[in-house]
Amino acid sequence: MRRVALAAVLLLAACAGRQNVLNPVSPGNRQVNTLFWWMLGVGAAVWALVIVAFLWASLRARRRTREDLEVPVEPVPPEANRRATRIVGGLVALTAIILLVFLIYDFTVGRALAAHPSRALTIEIIGHQWWWEVRYLDPDPQRIVVDANELHLPAGDTVQVKLLSRDVIHSFWVPNIIGKRDLIPGYVSSIFLSPDRPGVYRAQCAEFCGHEHAKMALPVVVHPRDGFSQWLQRARTPAAAPADSLALAGRTVFLAGSCSSCHAITGEPAYASLGPDLTHLASRRTLAAGTLVNTPGNLAGWIVDPQAVKPGALMPANALAPRDLRALLAYLETLK
Amino acid sequence: MTDPVRPLPDAPGVAPGPAAAPSPPPPLLDADALARDAERLEAVWRGPRGFWGWLTSVDHKSIGKRYIVTAFLMFLAGGIEAAMMRAQLSGPLRGLIGPDRYNQIFTTHGSTMMFLFAVPMMNAMGLYFVPLMVGARNVAFPRLNAFGYYTYLVGVVFLYVSLFVNTGPDAGWTSYVPLAGPEFSPGHRVDVWAQLVTFTEIAALAAAVNIIVTTFKLRAPGMSLNRIPIFVWSQLVVSFMIVFAMPAVATASTIQLAADRAVGTQWFNPATGGDALLWQHIFWFFGHPEVYIVFLPALGFVTPIVETFARRRVFGYTAIVLANITTGFFAFGLWVHHMFATPIPELGQSLFTAASMVIAIPTGVQIFCWIATLFLGRSRMTTAMLFVLGFLFTFVNGGITGVMLASVAFDKQVHDTFFVVAHLHYVLLGGAVLPLFAGFYFWFPKITGRMLSETLGAWHFWLFTIGVNVTFFPMHILGLQGMPRRIYTYLPETGWGGLNLLASAGAVVIAVSVILFLINVWVSWTAGAVAGPNPWASSGLDWATASPPPVYNFVHPVVVEGRHPLWDTVGPLAVLTGLRTDRREELITTTFDALPDHRHQSPRHSIWPLYLALCMGVVWIGSMFSPWFVLGGFALSLLGLLGWGWQGSRASGPELVATPHDLVEAS
Amino acid sequence: MSPRVDEPLVEQRAVGDLSLLPTVTFGSRSLMWWGTLGFMVIEGWTLALIVAMYFYLRQNYDAWPPLHTPAPGIAVATWNLAVMLVSCVPAFLAARAGKRLDRGAARIWVTVLALFGLATVILRWYELWALNVRWDTNAYGTAAWTIVGVHATLLLLDVADTIGLSLFYWIGRSPVKMLSDTNDNSFYWYFTVGVWIPLYVIVYLGPRLFG
Repeated sequence: MRRVALAAVLLLAACAGRQNVLNPVSPGNRQVNTLFWWMLGVGAAVWALVIVAFLWASLRARRRTREDLEVPVEPVPPEANRRATRIVGGLVALTAIILLVFLIYDFTVGRALAAHPSRALTIEIIGHQWWWEVRYLDPDPQRIVVDANELHLPAGDTVQVKLLSRDVIHSFWVPNIIGKRDLIPGYVSSIFLSPDRPGVYRAQCAEFCGHEHAKMALPVVVHPRDGFSQWLQRARTPAAAPADSLALAGRTVFLAGSCSSCHAITGEPAYASLGPDLTHLASRRTLAAGTLVNTPGNLAGWIVDPQAVKPGALMPANALAPRDLRALLAYLETLK
Repeated sequence: MTDPVRPLPDAPGVAPGPAAAPSPPPPLLDADALARDAERLEAVWRGPRGFWGWLTSVDHKSIGKRYIVTAFLMFLAGGIEAAMMRAQLSGPLRGLIGPDRYNQIFTTHGSTMMFLFAVPMMNAMGLYFVPLMVGARNVAFPRLNAFGYYTYLVGVVFLYVSLFVNTGPDAGWTSYVPLAGPEFSPGHRVDVWAQLVTFTEIAALAAAVNIIVTTFKLRAPGMSLNRIPIFVWSQLVVSFMIVFAMPAVATASTIQLAADRAVGTQWFNPATGGDALLWQHIFWFFGHPEVYIVFLPALGFVTPIVETFARRRVFGYTAIVLANITTGFFAFGLWVHHMFATPIPELGQSLFTAASMVIAIPTGVQIFCWIATLFLGRSRMTTAMLFVLGFLFTFVNGGITGVMLASVAFDKQVHDTFFVVAHLHYVLLGGAVLPLFAGFYFWFPKITGRMLSETLGAWHFWLFTIGVNVTFFPMHILGLQGMPRRIYTYLPETGWGGLNLLASAGAVVIAVSVILFLINVWVSWTAGAVAGPNPWASSGLDWATASPPPVYNFVHPVVVEGRHPLWDTVGPLAVLTGLRTDRREELITTTFDALPDHRHQSPRHSIWPLYLALCMGVVWIGSMFSPWFVLGGFALSLLGLLGWGWQGSRASGPELVATPHDLVEAS
Repeated sequence: MSPRVDEPLVEQRAVGDLSLLPTVTFGSRSLMWWGTLGFMVIEGWTLALIVAMYFYLRQNYDAWPPLHTPAPGIAVATWNLAVMLVSCVPAFLAARAGKRLDRGAARIWVTVLALFGLATVILRWYELWALNVRWDTNAYGTAAWTIVGVHATLLLLDVADTIGLSLFYWIGRSPVKMLSDTNDNSFYWYFTVGVWIPLYVIVYLGPRLFG
C-alpha cells in the first residue's frame, strides 16, 4: 500500500511542470475535463456502433467472385425499405438528441466559466517575439511589479489577467489552469485565473508567432496564498547595489555595454524595454522563456550566443572578454 | 441573311417510361453505321497529334488526367514535407531542420495539401467524370477548363521553385496577420503564398463554373434534376460553395494581404484603423467551407462504390442529396469556431457552436444511408470497398473530435494544439484521401482501360489505414498534454518524445503504402488486366462507353430513364440521333427536366488558354517585384483575349437560329 | 499504354432525332449566358464581401470619414453615374438588334456602347482621385479605394470585351452566334452599371449622409 502511494507520489512529481489538460487545478478546468470525458465516452460509443454496423452489413453475406456482380439489380422489397427508413430515421433523431444534449451541456459549462468572483489582483501579460512580459498592476504606480517569463499566482484566489501584444498574435494557455486566449495587437482581452492547487505548471505560446514559437514557454508558479504575498513583497524591492567587487565590475559591464540598451533593472539606470526586465533574473527558474534551466553556465552560454539556443531570437551575440563575462554573471547572480 | 422561317420541329421527346409501352419498338442502330459515326466523330473531336496537340487540347479527359496526375504529384510533395517534419519531431531538440527551414516546410505542406492537392484533385475528378456521368461530350467551357488547369500548373511550379530558392512561404497556410504583414515578414516569402492562393483560386473558380453549367445544361436527355447521380450532385454543391468561398480568399490574399505588402494599404494595421481580426474572419469564411469543398466530393465517390458492390440502388437518394445541400449551406455558418480563442462576444460563439454541431447531422444521414444500402444488399469486398471501410473507421473518429471541438470550453483547451492536427488529419485523410483511393481503385479502369491489382491494393489499404491511425492517433494525446502545433522542436522535459516517435514510425508505414500504390499504378497501367467498358457492372453513364472513353465520349446522346441508367434500362440503350458528325456539336438540354433544347458548337483545340495562363503568371508573379509587370502582363493578355474571341467567331457551316420570336436558318 | 480493344459497343436503339434543333439560341438557353451569369455572381459576391469589410472597419472609427480626412467629392462620381445610366440605352438597343438578327444595327449600338464605356473608364480615373484620400493613408482610404478600384477593373474588363466585339463586327467576323453574344454583353453591362449604384451611394454619398 505504502509502495503504491510512494509510486503515485513519484509519478506526480515526475509530472510536475508538465502541461496536461487532463490534470486540472482550477474549478473551471475541472468542469471542462468532465465535459471532455463525457463527450469522449459517448463519441467512442457512436464510433464503435457505426463501425460494427458497417462491418456486419457488408460482411454478413459476401459475394465472393467478380462474376457475382453480373446479376440484375433488383429493387428493394417495399417492407424492407420501410423498415430501413424507420431505422435510419431513428438513428438521425438519436444523433440530433445527443448533439442537443451536448449543446446544452456545453452552454452550461460556458456560463459557469464566464461567472467570476471578485478578483484579488490584476496582472497584465504582454506578448513579444518570443518572450512574455508580466506586469503585476497596482493603483499606485510605484508598486507595479514588472517581471518576465514567469507568472506567479496565488492559490485559491481569482486573478484577472489582461492580455496584449506588441508585435504579432500570441496565445496564452496554461493547460492545467485555463484554456487559450489570444494576444492580438490592437485588442486587450481579459481572462480570470483561479488555480486552487499550489505547484509549478507550464504554459506555452499557442499561436504561431514566427521563428521561435517553439521556445516561448512560461512557467506558472502557483503559491499558497501567504507565499504569494511574500513573493510579491519581495518582487517590489528594487535591485540593491552589489557588495563584492567582481559583481560591481559586472554592473559596469551591464550598464556601459550593450545589455542596458535593451534590458531594464529597477533601481539601476537601465530602463530599456526591448528585452525582458532583469530585476529578479536570478530568482527565475528558467532562461530564454522557459528554454534553459537557470544555471550560471546556461546563462553564460545564452549571453554569448543566443542564436545557438534560439535561432532567430532578437538578442544579438555578445563577444565579451572572459573577465567581463565572469563579472557580468556574478552581477546577474545578485539580481534575486 | 435570313431565310424563310421554318417551323420549329417538335422537340424530340424523351422516350416514355416503361408504363406507356411504345407501340413498335424502335429498330436497333446498325453496327456498321455506329462504327462509321464513331470514326467521323473521332476525326472531328480529336485535335492535332503530337506535342502541339497536347498543348492545345481542350478535351476534358485529357485535361482531367493531367489535373489528377499533377495533383497527385502534389500529394507526394506534401507527403515528403510531412516526412521531413516527422523526422525533425521524432525526438526532443533534434537538429535536423532549423526553425527558418521548418517554418517554410510546414507552411508549404499545408498550402500544398489544401490548395494544390485536395481542392484541385476533387475538381479534377469532377472535370473528368461529370461530363461522362451526365452523358455529355465535353464540359460546357472547354477552353476555360484548360486555362484553369494551366493557371494551377503555373501556381505549382511557382511555389516549388520559390521553395527551392529559400523563398518558401513561412507564416503558416493561414498566414495570420500581422505576422504575415509587411512589418513582420519582410522579403518575398509571404508574397509567394498570397500569389499562390490567387492562382489556385482562379483555377478552382474556372472548374466550378464549368461543373455547374455542365450539370445544368449538358445533361443527357431525360436526366431530370431528381435523376442526377449523387457523385454529380456533390460536385454541383461543392462548385456552388467554391463560387461563394473562393472570392473570400481571393479578397483576403490578393486585395488585402498582397496589397498591404506591396502598396501599403492599411487593412490590418491597428495604428491606422485597420484590424488584425478582419483577416481571420475573411480567411475562415473561406477556410471552413474549404474543408467541405474537399470532403463532399469524396462522399460523392462513396455512394456509387457502395451501391455497385452491394448490388442495390442507394437507400435514401433524396436524403443524401438534401444532406449535401444542407452541408453546403451550414459550412458557411461556422467559421468563427476557428476563432474561439479570440476576444469575440460569447453569444456569437454559442451560435457557432450550435451550427458546428448541427452540421454533423447531414453527414450522419449519408453514413446511415450507406449502411442501410449495404444491409439491403449483399456486398463484395473489393479494394475500393476496403477503402470505404477505412474511410468510415478514420473519418467518423475525426467527425466525433469535430463535434468535441465545437464546444467552446473544450476547444479553448485544444485549439492550435496537436489535438487539432490529429483531428484535421483524421477528417482530411479519412474523409477525403481514403475515399479518393477508393475512387482510384473504382475508376482507374475507366481512365486507363486496365484494372489495378487487387492484391497490391489490399496491402496498400492495410498499410495506409494502419499508418494513418498510428501516426495521428497519438497526436490527440500530445495535444491534451499541451503540445502546440507549428513548433519545430520541443524540450525533453515536456515528455512528448515517446508519442512523437510513435507518430513518426506511423509516417514510415504511410510512406511504404504510398510507394506500393505507385508500383500498383505503374504495373497495372502497363500490364494490368483489360477492363472492358463496365468491369464492376455499375450503373452510371460513365460505364456506358469504352474504357478509356473515346474523345467524343458517346456516339449518340443516351436517353436516361431513371437514376441508374445501366440498371434501369433492360435491353439496348435508347439514344437520340441527329447531332452532326462533321463539327463539334453537342446537345444542350433544359435545366430542370433535361429535355433536348438546342445543339451547341463546342470550341476546337486552342493555344490561348495556355498563353493566357502564362500572362496571368507574369501579372501575379511580377506584381511581387514591380507594378509594371502587372501592366505588361495585362497588355499581353489582351492579345490572348482577342485570339480567344477570334477563334470563337469562326463560322463553320449553316446555323439554325432560335430567336425569342422565331426560328431562322442562317449561315 | 491504354489497351486498344475493339469493344462491342453497347447495343443502341434510336428513339428520336435531333437534327432539326436550333444551333444558336438567346438568353438563358445559351451556354454563354450561363457563363456570364457565373462571372456576375463571382464578381458581385466579391464586391459584397469588400463592402462588408468596409463596414467592419467603420466600427473602428468614431467619425466617418475619420478626423482630418476630407469627405469624397461627389461631382465626378455623379456625372459618371449619369453616363453609365444613359449607356444602358445603347446596350438595350444592341441586345434588341441582336435578338432581331439585325447585324447592321447591332454593329452600330455595340460601337456606341463601347464609346460610352471608354468615357466611364476615363471618368473613373478622376473619380478615384475625388475620394480625397490615398489608399495608404488609413483604413478608410484603403476600403474606399478598394471598392471603387475593384469595380473599375470590372468596368475595364467589360469595356475591353465590348470593344473587341465591335471590332469583330467591323472587320466582318460576325457569325450569327455573335448576335447572341451581343445580347449577353448587354446583360453583363446592366450588371456592371446596376452594381455600381449601391457602391456609389456607400462610398460617395455615405460619408456625407451618415458620417
